[in-house]
Amino acid sequence: MVKKMVTGNYAAAYGAMRSRVKVVAAYPITPQTFIVEHLSEFVNNGELECEYVEVESEHTAMSTCVSASATGVRTFTATSSQGLALMHEILPIASGMRLPVVMAVVNRAIAAPINIWVEHNDIMPERDSGWIQVFCDNNQEVQDMVLQAFKIAEDKRVALPMTVGLDAFILSHTVEPVDLMEQEHADKFLPKYVPPGPIIDPDDVNDVGVFTPPEYMMEARFNMDKAMREAPKVIEEVNVAFAKQFGRNHGGMIDPYMVDDADAVLITLGTASSTAHEVVDDMRAEGKKVGLVKLRFWRPYPSAQLRKIAEKTKAVGVFDRAVSYGVSGPSFIEFKSAAYGLNVPAMNFIGGLGGRDVSLADIRFMYERLLEAGKTGKVKRDITWMGTRGVEQ
Amino acid sequence: MKLKEMPDEELFTRGHTACAGCGAAIAARNLIKVLGKDTVVVSPACCLLIFSATYPLISWKVPYHHVAFENTAACATGMKRALKVRGKDSTTVMGIAGDGGTADIGFQALSGAAERNEDILYVMYDNEAYMNTGIQRSGSTPFGAWTTTTPVGKVKSGKANFKKDMPQIMMAHNVPYVATASVGHIQDFLNKFEKAKKIKGFRYIQVYTPCPTGWRHDTSKTIEICKLAVDSGMWTLYECENGKVTINKKPKMTPVTEYLKPQGRFKHMTEADIKKLQDWVLKKWENDEKLAQLKA
Amino acid sequence: MLAFTRIDTKRIYRKTQVYEPDVVVILDEGLVETVNVVEGLKKGGIVIVNSAKKPEDIDVGIDIKLATVDATTVALEILKQPATNSAILGAFAKATGLVKIESIEKGIMQIFGDRLGPKVGELNGRAARAAFDRTIVGTSRGHRQLKTAKKWLPDVNELPLGVAAVPMKTEAGMVGPGSFLENKTGSWRVFRPEYSKDKCTMCNFCWFYCPEGCIYRKGDEMEFDMDYCKGCGICANECPSEAIKMVR
Repeated sequence: MVKKMVTGNYAAAYGAMRSRVKVVAAYPITPQTFIVEHLSEFVNNGELECEYVEVESEHTAMSTCVSASATGVRTFTATSSQGLALMHEILPIASGMRLPVVMAVVNRAIAAPINIWVEHNDIMPERDSGWIQVFCDNNQEVQDMVLQAFKIAEDKRVALPMTVGLDAFILSHTVEPVDLMEQEHADKFLPKYVPPGPIIDPDDVNDVGVFTPPEYMMEARFNMDKAMREAPKVIEEVNVAFAKQFGRNHGGMIDPYMVDDADAVLITLGTASSTAHEVVDDMRAEGKKVGLVKLRFWRPYPSAQLRKIAEKTKAVGVFDRAVSYGVSGPSFIEFKSAAYGLNVPAMNFIGGLGGRDVSLADIRFMYERLLEAGKTGKVKRDITWMGTRGVEQ
Repeated sequence: MKLKEMPDEELFTRGHTACAGCGAAIAARNLIKVLGKDTVVVSPACCLLIFSATYPLISWKVPYHHVAFENTAACATGMKRALKVRGKDSTTVMGIAGDGGTADIGFQALSGAAERNEDILYVMYDNEAYMNTGIQRSGSTPFGAWTTTTPVGKVKSGKANFKKDMPQIMMAHNVPYVATASVGHIQDFLNKFEKAKKIKGFRYIQVYTPCPTGWRHDTSKTIEICKLAVDSGMWTLYECENGKVTINKKPKMTPVTEYLKPQGRFKHMTEADIKKLQDWVLKKWENDEKLAQLKA
Repeated sequence: MLAFTRIDTKRIYRKTQVYEPDVVVILDEGLVETVNVVEGLKKGGIVIVNSAKKPEDIDVGIDIKLATVDATTVALEILKQPATNSAILGAFAKATGLVKIESIEKGIMQIFGDRLGPKVGELNGRAARAAFDRTIVGTSRGHRQLKTAKKWLPDVNELPLGVAAVPMKTEAGMVGPGSFLENKTGSWRVFRPEYSKDKCTMCNFCWFYCPEGCIYRKGDEMEFDMDYCKGCGICANECPSEAIKMVR
């Protein structure tokens, strides 16, 4: 049991090391760079035995991981923002080939304007990439989820790649106490890699990724969809198994907090979840019945679970750290789809874009709005832009 | 390995859907024989992928992999590193791509892998245009050639720029082995692939592979045109092994018009343009010869 | 390789493949042996075949109105290459009467002429006209057993993970590595190599140069596999002892 003050980047790298990754593709981009630097140190001091490839771009980083995974080894890389965008072409290739690549994504705003701080608009365009996607709100979770990610991704029922998301600077560069796992414990949880499907092997000839006519496409896509639908079961299993072995339960698909009797529930992604946690405690102490759903898994999306919660409460708010221009925040769109047919007043709060802080007061404001909506049954404003000069909040 | 010593077993089977007379098919079929069974191959989207691997029918009898268009060298890197981890470091990893996927869009990944001296064999089959998408110019298309993006008419008169010198760009990366080859020059082809197989580190072979469909020549003339290319100096057969440059076949310096004649893609060329091309060839050969002398 | 055309005087709405043709045009005669070319063909339909045979000598499996023309020879004569697409249009005009040959010639001049120049347009128009003149319209009596080429169509549980090509024996034949052997490309050719053993020195050049790899070294002679030969002519062009000649 080694508890140290480490950054989210360190935790991610450490998790990859403990997962015994065999091929790491390394390319720098703020604010992820330390992940690949830490991995370089681990390799250099003999703690991590792997092929460390200092690639010349993120596109190559993901390509290298895909081909290495297709050749039967556990692979890992990390990126953010523009780097993720550059990888975009290869992401559906990883999932289409059903390769369990794991990637840490330090969520940073995508240009333009060019900005290095937290926003979720880098990962949102990858919603339909076929990757499983989780958002963390503390560094312990980051380390733990990297290990869990391999276990989830490599499960034969899933066989899909996965991202582990952490907010730029708030997690990536902030030190928090993390229980750094021992190798033997990690090995017990995550055994030696067994490829879920056919691989490139000179001693067992197969072909991976060839030109495919229409006759096979519906079936291929259906199987990916089926895997994504199986994934929640696997995610919950892995969470329970992890909690049993390590004594830490991060919550599975969602981490609901005080929702059972809540008059107002806020759904959040990323570190805003953690801030909201404190606000819930404060407001509950004041006698206000508020609840929080930390939305952990973005894909697969916990539609049924969120719907159940929405049915029981008086108002639901969704906090978005990204925008789908002209419509609303993307998380709100997904929620409304899950809540289709329900009459519960629902509101979207867009905030924290490009690194603007999401304060306790901001969250409290959201809850007050929701409580009001719960009482009157009327929504004061569908979509609220938080702290935007010239725009009424 | 001599021609008659080549094994009978085809590791690239017939039944593929390449055009009749395809130079790339000749290259693929023969090079995999030299490299042998302990080889894995990755290709980008290109003619070779489409004609050799349309699901579920495949020509390759060695493992074949495809990811995207511009990342052949990156994928070969991943394959090699993974095989190393799995204790199969002796397996030859070959990335084989066309000129579009190498000299243009594939260049970044190629240069990166070369600079890192990745232990892979990179083969560029040079049919001098993006053939798979219907004959568009690439950096490797020669001056004056008709393609659909450098057509011939009122405004344009074929490609306005000269062929990118990929072999020398790769030599500048100081990798263990860079060579040019042609499907029309059998022993030279065999020598180079045999040599490349044994070398550790980054190896680059650019194979001249005429395309009857894109170059507008008779399907029977594929090999003849290779010989005209080398004899005229349009294509130099040389190699660079650890910095030492050797010219394998000194061109006869046949007038470039002989090379242009059988190819419909050049039939529009004016005397002035032909002279430009001839001058370029002379200069190119002069430069190649000097390089060989300098790096003997 | 299939291509579809719909012809109508009013706007055509459907944008699907054609399942019940009125006319089937076959450019590659060999397909009659290997594929059910009349699948879905409407009653009272017509088959047009690029062939030197007479209609009554072609068996497509059913009794049907059938027209033939040796479009390849027409193309070789007029265009100096075996591109049969313009010639076959003339046969279409004659056999179906749906369009006039004059309209075909006009259309060819517009499309071919525009893109490749008036001379090319004129030559292709002439090829269509020649084919029109030479087309014989008759009937064919069907006796052969129709076989629908089997295709491997796995369901969601049978499709390998990630659509990987793994070696498998299916009811449609081999799939996976090396399985292109199932595809007999010999039907592509127009010309075939004629080999003279007595002139052959077993230099092995043709064996190396063949893009298909369908020339085999058999002791003291070369064997040419006509199941796969596409008729490119490289072997004949390169043979140093003129032991190979390309013939129709």
